[in-house]
Amino acid sequence: MNLILDLVLRLAVWMLLAPLLPGIINKVKARVAGRRGPPVLQLYYDLAKLWRKGVVLSTLASPGFVAGPAVAWVALTGAAMLMPLGPAGSILSFRGDVLLLIYLLALARFCTAWAAMETGSAFEGMGAAREVSYAVLAEAAIIAAVLSLSVQTGSVSLVTMLSPSAGAGAVLLAAGLFTVLLAENCRVPFDDPNTHLELTMIHEVMVLDHSGPPLAAILHGASVKLLLFALLLVQAVLPTGKSSPLVAAGALVAGVLVVTVSVGLVESFLARLAFRRVPLLLTTAFLFCLFALLVAWKGGAE
Amino acid sequence: MTPGPLLLFAFLTLATGVVVGVRLSRTWLGLTLAGTVSGLSAALMVLLGAPDWEWRSAFSLGGEFVHLRLDGVSALFLVLLCMGGGAGAIYARDYWSEHRYPDSAPRGRAWWSAMLLSMGLVLTVSNGLHFLIAWELFALCGYFLITLDRQRREVRSAGWVYLVASHAGTVFLFAFFSTLAARTGGWDLGPMREQTGLAPLFWLALVGFGVKAGFFPLHIWLPSAHANAPSHVSAIMSGVAIKMGIYGIVRFSGWLPVPSAAGWVVIGLGATSALLGIAFAFAQNDFKRLLAYSSVENIGVILIGVGAALLAVTHGDALWGRLAFAGALLHVWNHGAFKSLLFFGAGSVLHATGTREMSKLGGLWRTMLWTAGFFVLGSLAVSALPPLNGFVSEWLVYLGLFDAATSKGPAAWAAMPAAIMLAMAGALAMASFAKAGAMIFLGAPRTQVATHAHECGMWMRGPMLALAVVCVTIGLAPILFWPVVARVVGSWRPAWITMEAPAPLLTLGAVHVGLAILVLMAAAWLWRKAHANSLRRGLTWDCGYAMPAARMQYTSASFGGIVAGWFGWVLQPERKMRRPRGPFPAEAIRLERIPETVLDRIIGPVSVAIMQVSTSVRRLQHGRLQFYILYVVAGLIALGVLVLLGGAP
Repeated sequence: MNLILDLVLRLAVWMLLAPLLPGIINKVKARVAGRRGPPVLQLYYDLAKLWRKGVVLSTLASPGFVAGPAVAWVALTGAAMLMPLGPAGSILSFRGDVLLLIYLLALARFCTAWAAMETGSAFEGMGAAREVSYAVLAEAAIIAAVLSLSVQTGSVSLVTMLSPSAGAGAVLLAAGLFTVLLAENCRVPFDDPNTHLELTMIHEVMVLDHSGPPLAAILHGASVKLLLFALLLVQAVLPTGKSSPLVAAGALVAGVLVVTVSVGLVESFLARLAFRRVPLLLTTAFLFCLFALLVAWKGGAE
Repeated sequence: MTPGPLLLFAFLTLATGVVVGVRLSRTWLGLTLAGTVSGLSAALMVLLGAPDWEWRSAFSLGGEFVHLRLDGVSALFLVLLCMGGGAGAIYARDYWSEHRYPDSAPRGRAWWSAMLLSMGLVLTVSNGLHFLIAWELFALCGYFLITLDRQRREVRSAGWVYLVASHAGTVFLFAFFSTLAARTGGWDLGPMREQTGLAPLFWLALVGFGVKAGFFPLHIWLPSAHANAPSHVSAIMSGVAIKMGIYGIVRFSGWLPVPSAAGWVVIGLGATSALLGIAFAFAQNDFKRLLAYSSVENIGVILIGVGAALLAVTHGDALWGRLAFAGALLHVWNHGAFKSLLFFGAGSVLHATGTREMSKLGGLWRTMLWTAGFFVLGSLAVSALPPLNGFVSEWLVYLGLFDAATSKGPAAWAAMPAAIMLAMAGALAMASFAKAGAMIFLGAPRTQVATHAHECGMWMRGPMLALAVVCVTIGLAPILFWPVVARVVGSWRPAWITMEAPAPLLTLGAVHVGLAILVLMAAAWLWRKAHANSLRRGLTWDCGYAMPAARMQYTSASFGGIVAGWFGWVLQPERKMRRPRGPFPAEAIRLERIPETVLDRIIGPVSVAIMQVSTSVRRLQHGRLQFYILYVVAGLIALGVLVLLGGAP
């Protein structure tokens, strides 16, 4: 019984809180630019509206065009269920759950790219190609980060990996994971979620032809993914496991807010990179995580 | 009941199949299926707990007594062989039918039986001499199956490269087995781990079997052979035959002592093979070649696990070794299942359209819904995505590597880079198969042949369905397969018999089942919701362009362009470009082709150089007698000088 209650509560938290993040980012960006900006809850309104709207399918699209976003959403939510929430721990924790989490994200990526290719549009093809290609470097960075946490704590399960701080390598790990967060969630400087110049985008261009409930699933999934990465970053860096539950919960919320605001600030002060520079930045992120791994190795050996 | 009679029955039916296959296609199919099923039951008996089966003949063959043995390791590969052999035989009925290929279909059936028979012998014989004979037979059957369609020039050349590479490998095996026989005083094989002097022989076995396994850079024969062979042959070559190389490496690293550097080398080869193999796959435009290169990657994944096991042997039998090894062994089955499935799917597409170029296909899901579905399932499995079988085995390998890293021993320095490279290879595999599936089945048909494609018949869909069921079952209930894998691990290294699963496979299976149910439910729900809200069909938006044409779609070369750029140093793409000129350009071309880099750029030039040197040496031999006398005199004088200068006579 407790388990079901826990699951329902968790789902509710993830479902309801995730769309807040893009709202905060947009608010920060608007404030920095001296505008009032859309309300923080704008994404909620959008989702509610999209859920009620009709769907226009491309004449070329197979049922996979609708199934893709659904599977991606399930995969992302499943990954979210594996992520421990500070003092609340994790609902399901086992050795190697971190690898399942990474591969669930990959499943979501496969489905998004697949649905994008359904339309036969060159723009979507371009976006899908970029998404899957840059993912190669992002994946290397994430595995290096996870390895460093693993070596640090001597464990392969998320709850134990994320409870102590990342030690001396925390700064490196934070830098690396933050860059990966920006890349994986299609934020500036990798991607610009605002433009609608298809030639310059990665993620937005993949969902150009989606509408109605499938688009709602995609947008909601994207916000869940953002929250997931923010939580991973915060818990990897902050020693939440050692403090009292209330402090830990507060630190977690504050940390996620800091990450979100930082994303907004980065977006306000940086321009999008030229595409040929994207791999360089991702390689830098990988190197940050790799150095964090070496620091973790060194730290434990003493 | 022991496995013996079953194996005898399998042997007899397959041997009869070789003879009657030329004429009676139905009888042949029945015999092959009976043979594979009884072989499968024999192997399963051993895997599920029956004691190892051994048999020695009273008569001798070639001066040696026949010694057969079916233990865990052999049985694991025998299951794969029977699965692939049976499925391929059914598939070939329509795919390589008497009707379409009146000339080569009968030949194909006979060679198919011979191939299964010789591979079965490779797996069971326990005598070096007989092993070599069976190995040679198996290599030759492979050659004749690859070149079934020998009217085509590229088929003959692919077969030739295969034959040469295969024999280059066999040379090493000759050296391996004869040295082994000389050191041990007999051809009989079996566990001899105590004789530490035999350890260096491992390197001979690694190269000899490595050519067949096709890891990078010994994979040179593999892409063109797999691409040009008929698809059911590609399926058995890729799913089963290259595993014989893995069998050899696993078998003799278990029976013989291994040098301490072996683990490092094998894990390094595996990681390189995984990453470079899949980089080549992603850059291909020919879908069968893409599948072939993906086999190089998967062999790499298997070798990472085997290498970790070898490392663990030299690091105090660490637990992580058997975890990674279990993953590698399970991946042998998994790769056999999903790669055969993918090659069958590719065969259906080839059967329906007659082209292997992804740039000429597109939109096939409309006419080939079954094939498209199976191909997507295979793609998800080969990309190691949950909840399918590929993820289970790679997850075990990852766990082994992570445990090796957290143990903080010297082995971590192999495990950490291997884990990172495995992750990159995984991401690239996903990219490659998103590309292949999307280019073949999605969007608009790019050419006429793609428009007029048709679905394949029941005889081709049936084997695909069976293999898909295998993929899903291993994915959803991995715990069922743990005892089997544990048995093999114990049979490889008796010290490693562990009863309980060291990894939470039960939990993983439960999560996979939940995930599968939720995925299906969510997709159905969203589909219904979209219909309930009103669903309208319209042109692809395409940035507002009013008349999108099929040729405007993204091509496979552009899809892989970014990564091909990163790996340009090893892919060495050949480009042909004509830029548009003038105000009304008539044509503009950009062609990109990925050559067989290792073959074309290294082996090719080296062979040409050797040929040139040989030709220039041959000038000395011209048939003029006076010069020959001069050679003799010069030789005598040289010898005389040597003796005068004090060289020992």
